[in-house]
Amino acid sequence: MSAAAREFLRRAAEKSGDLAHRQVVRFNMDQYEAAVARGHSRFTDWEAARERCRQIKWEAVNHLDRYLLEFETKVQERGGHVFWAETSEEARRYVCDLAVARGVKKVVKSKSMVTEEVHLTPALEKLGMEVFETDLGEYIVQLRNEPPYHIVTPAMHLNRGQIRDLFKEKLGGGATDDPPELVAVARRTLRQAFFSAEMGISGANFLVADAGMVAITTNEGNGRLCTSIPRIHVVMTGIEKVVPRLQDLAMLWPVLATSGTGQPITCYNTLLAGARRAGEVDGPEEFHVVLVDNGRSQLLADSEQRDVLHCIRCGACLNACPVYRAVGGHTYGTIYQGPIGSVLTPHLRGLSEFQHLSYASSLCGNCTDVCPVKIDLHHHLLHNRRNAIRAGTHPGPERRAMRLFRWTMMDAGRFRILGGVARASIRLAHALGLGGTALDPMRAWTRRRAPMVLPSTSFRSLWRKTDGFR
Amino acid sequence: MASAETHSPAADHAGRERILERVRNALQAPAHQPPPTPAQPVFAPVTDPLERFQAECLANNTELILSTDEVATAAAIESVLDSLPAGEVFLQDSPWLRSVSRSFMVPRNERWSSEGAPSEGSEATVTECELLVALTGSIVVSSACGGRGASIVAPCHIVVARLEQLVPDLETALARVHEMGLDAKNSFVGLITGSSRTADIEKILVLGAHGPRRLVLVVQTGA
Repeated sequence: MSAAAREFLRRAAEKSGDLAHRQVVRFNMDQYEAAVARGHSRFTDWEAARERCRQIKWEAVNHLDRYLLEFETKVQERGGHVFWAETSEEARRYVCDLAVARGVKKVVKSKSMVTEEVHLTPALEKLGMEVFETDLGEYIVQLRNEPPYHIVTPAMHLNRGQIRDLFKEKLGGGATDDPPELVAVARRTLRQAFFSAEMGISGANFLVADAGMVAITTNEGNGRLCTSIPRIHVVMTGIEKVVPRLQDLAMLWPVLATSGTGQPITCYNTLLAGARRAGEVDGPEEFHVVLVDNGRSQLLADSEQRDVLHCIRCGACLNACPVYRAVGGHTYGTIYQGPIGSVLTPHLRGLSEFQHLSYASSLCGNCTDVCPVKIDLHHHLLHNRRNAIRAGTHPGPERRAMRLFRWTMMDAGRFRILGGVARASIRLAHALGLGGTALDPMRAWTRRRAPMVLPSTSFRSLWRKTDGFR
Repeated sequence: MASAETHSPAADHAGRERILERVRNALQAPAHQPPPTPAQPVFAPVTDPLERFQAECLANNTELILSTDEVATAAAIESVLDSLPAGEVFLQDSPWLRSVSRSFMVPRNERWSSEGAPSEGSEATVTECELLVALTGSIVVSSACGGRGASIVAPCHIVVARLEQLVPDLETALARVHEMGLDAKNSFVGLITGSSRTADIEKILVLGAHGPRRLVLVVQTGA
């Protein structure tokens, strides 16, 4: 078992028994579900909307080279810079080199999962720069030195009291835990950062090929400030974010908002075509787009799972997942959590280390049902399981156990004899008073559950006695 | 090797070619294509754009004021300014807003976009917009509307618009953005729907996260 798998199991056991945590998650999910239900009611045909979004992303992903080049050409025509980073390391180095060359001391960031993926912030901090996350939730987890708990609502696991204590300690906040007051404390601190930072870093929700524009969606307006005030704007995003046409946003914007938060549309949907132009009042002097591959082109080559690149990072599958709800976001130990993270992470960071995530699912299919771009998430978890077995990277004891199971199941006589042995040994252990102890053969079950009471006869003998329960 | 000194396309390292080659090779294997979707409407058609727009503004916390003429528009702006702490009022330098400002009853601490971006401490910004979208109660702005900061920096953003700028839905709005050349002419085009907000603390809605707490829209119906 990989170190990541062991850590996952340890955290999952701890978190799923943490009732306070489950209550927080349940509260958030109830609120989310009510909002999304209201959001869906604005569509006359939500299924058709999902279908249209899938078509748009299918078209883009299956002609990725063409649309990326179209986007690049448009950006360069207007004096913007486009850098193609094969790895996390290259993406980091480009931004770090740029920041050093321009004498950057302070950086403001709007939410971007790709910058988390390439670990950009620690790299900039190592160079002595001050880096501020400016999305409120993201800023809160940054102050706590924690990774985001959820890709859309990073501080979902915290209550207002915890945030008050955090602000009191780190920002000199007051004694109130009133949300508007807490927001005001963060706003004051971050405003100073916006107006003194030399570099703003954002992600991209979409790269619009025909317009050569970067689309950024935020509710707080932090994405707007990051890209308006500092003199350098760097966009860092994955190569799969490109969409063919400006017109596609008429469908993608409302669908992203509805699946993400239940809103009809997000407050600020911003299109940026580059640096400030002659005659414009403000805007950055420089505009850089870093297109990150980091394993995406390999995933693209897997035609069975190519649709994973359709993902618009709305977070709906996390919210829908019974496993995410039980174990929480931090348990995954990955940048992308929940079903999409369980599918994607083995591709980005290796199947042998992260195959256990393919089993962090009940295969209920709820994730697939809610996905606004119709990614076949739960089947991809099965594909990853199959691929791990083919690659022979699943654990030895499991392989041996499955071989024994297969051997047993292939013959009715073997099944009957081994079943009898198992029942007899459990009865014996219970008769000796070992039920529920470490020596109970059903230990794996009884460790966290009440001991099982075995029926007196097996199913087979019941069947025979009653002539098939007639 | 990426060098910050030389950001010309030619200086891009071979990574670009390698990524493109991997992408092209990957796409040699076709993926299952979803069946084409009939173009059925996804949203209910907007039958009365103004009525819909008003309802959406109410829902998303945009303060909508209808004014009959320029004098009424000036009065509407002043009533909002009077409710704010005294301070800098940033205005987009356009013929219309110059003319409106001449109808102000009280002299204001005006800063015009021709003098530069709004200051950090601006109390309000006053701008025009490009379009209004009925379906979502949204306002389309661009760099030409006083710049990027004009719609985000101050605690209150006042937008003046004409009824003719109202379009029914997002498809029409984006088509118009392209027809009007807004995507080609400006480095920034934004769709604004309501005032800045966050629900990051216990899912409780708080207005005025980083951007304006108040978004006021004055729609002038007459000359």
